[in-house]
Amino acid sequence: MYRETGLVNASPQSSQDDGTLLALAKRGDEYAMASLFDRYSRVVYSVALRVLRDPASAEDILQEVFMQLWRSPDAFIATRGSLGGWLAVVSRNRSIDALRRKKPMEPVNELSLAAPFNLANEAERNNMMEKARGVIVKLPAEQRKTLEMAFFDGLTHSEIAEMTGDPLGTVKTRIRSALTTLRKAFQT
Amino acid sequence: MSLTRHIEPEDLALFAMQLLGRDEARAVAGHVEECPDCRRQLAEVQGDLAVYAHAVDMHSPPALARERLMKQVAREKKVVPIERTPAETAFPNRTEQVFRTGLGSGAYLTEEEPQRSTLSKLAPWAGWAVAAGVAVTAWSFYHDRDALQDKLKSQASQIDRISADAAAAKQMLDAMTDPTAKHVTLVKAPASSTPPEPQGRATYVSEKGALIFLASNMEPLQPYKVYELWMIPADGRDPIPAGTFHPDERGNASVIMPPLPKGIEAKAFGVTVEDEGGSQTPTLPIILAGS
Repeated sequence: MYRETGLVNASPQSSQDDGTLLALAKRGDEYAMASLFDRYSRVVYSVALRVLRDPASAEDILQEVFMQLWRSPDAFIATRGSLGGWLAVVSRNRSIDALRRKKPMEPVNELSLAAPFNLANEAERNNMMEKARGVIVKLPAEQRKTLEMAFFDGLTHSEIAEMTGDPLGTVKTRIRSALTTLRKAFQT
Repeated sequence: MSLTRHIEPEDLALFAMQLLGRDEARAVAGHVEECPDCRRQLAEVQGDLAVYAHAVDMHSPPALARERLMKQVAREKKVVPIERTPAETAFPNRTEQVFRTGLGSGAYLTEEEPQRSTLSKLAPWAGWAVAAGVAVTAWSFYHDRDALQDKLKSQASQIDRISADAAAAKQMLDAMTDPTAKHVTLVKAPASSTPPEPQGRATYVSEKGALIFLASNMEPLQPYKVYELWMIPADGRDPIPAGTFHPDERGNASVIMPPLPKGIEAKAFGVTVEDEGGSQTPTLPIILAGS
């Protein structure tokens, strides 16, 4: 497996911001939708692939997430944070739902996130990715593994505790500490 | 967790990841709906998770995924209601009174009476004037239509050409980066059974800042380590990081079009092993080097 740091799937990127593209998509502009896909398909697909470990299933999630955006762009509004971050989390949640073979737990329009990043900007997005990877690799191994099991494998704290032999409280604290470290790194 | 007490941050994180049981999740959702403080904290946790999600190894979706989505989008075309202007503005020259009384009322006819004599003089010419106007407009539309059709044909042909080029380029990139692709390096027939040496091939166009790097026989890495490609500028500047990569189980890897500044002549390229996430300065030893 290799990691792509280049612009393998690059296409002419729209310079319009996410809000403008969403407004155009809401009015039925298919090109705006294509631009949003070009901008965020890699992260949506990559998150789904990491959770499901199956390219065909990950592509299904990719289609589902973007069709949801096309059908109801109002589900995301600017006050909910960054569209890129929102799509990444929605992709993860939908993938976990698919992994559990059950219906979505919550409607996406209830999902708000605070993210001070302009993920529409490719350079800023790449910087953020690299920085996040740098922070995560320096986390204590047990924190990193616990967060990974919870977020990407969808294991509950009880399941993680059972698998690792750690107390429930320790599992919860590790997840919380890992996220706190990540947040602090981006506040400095 | 109750509606009167705030939710513990640990539980908010689990709630955000949908890892709580149904009853617990319902209780947290109920509290969060009523509590602005916990709602804000939950949004922050979701922001943290969004950042974490972006740290995943990036993969491009299959080339046909975009086409598949756009076909589905086209199938579900939206019908956007046309905003109509208020009916009053359709008759800007009529006074409110005339409009209110309407055609056929006695008041309307009385008000128009003084102008009738002038109108009656112009009436025979009005038809010809309208006909001439329509003819000029039609002629103008006809020529505009021809010009637009020509332009459309030209643009359609251009789009076809660009699409074909893009499809070919995409196919090439997909083939080069496909994890199932077989990479074979042809060398002089080996005299002994020594294992093949790691090797890489970089293709670089400085003017465009375009770089394609393909490696083979790379040794597997320890956990949380990554290979990093470096471009060493010819003008003596510090090495520029040109992308990180993990080899697949057969030792093959690639870095395709990493974001590099344009116009920098390269003296050499090198590969080092760095911590996951990459580094801004190379760590010795240099695993691969070439100039």
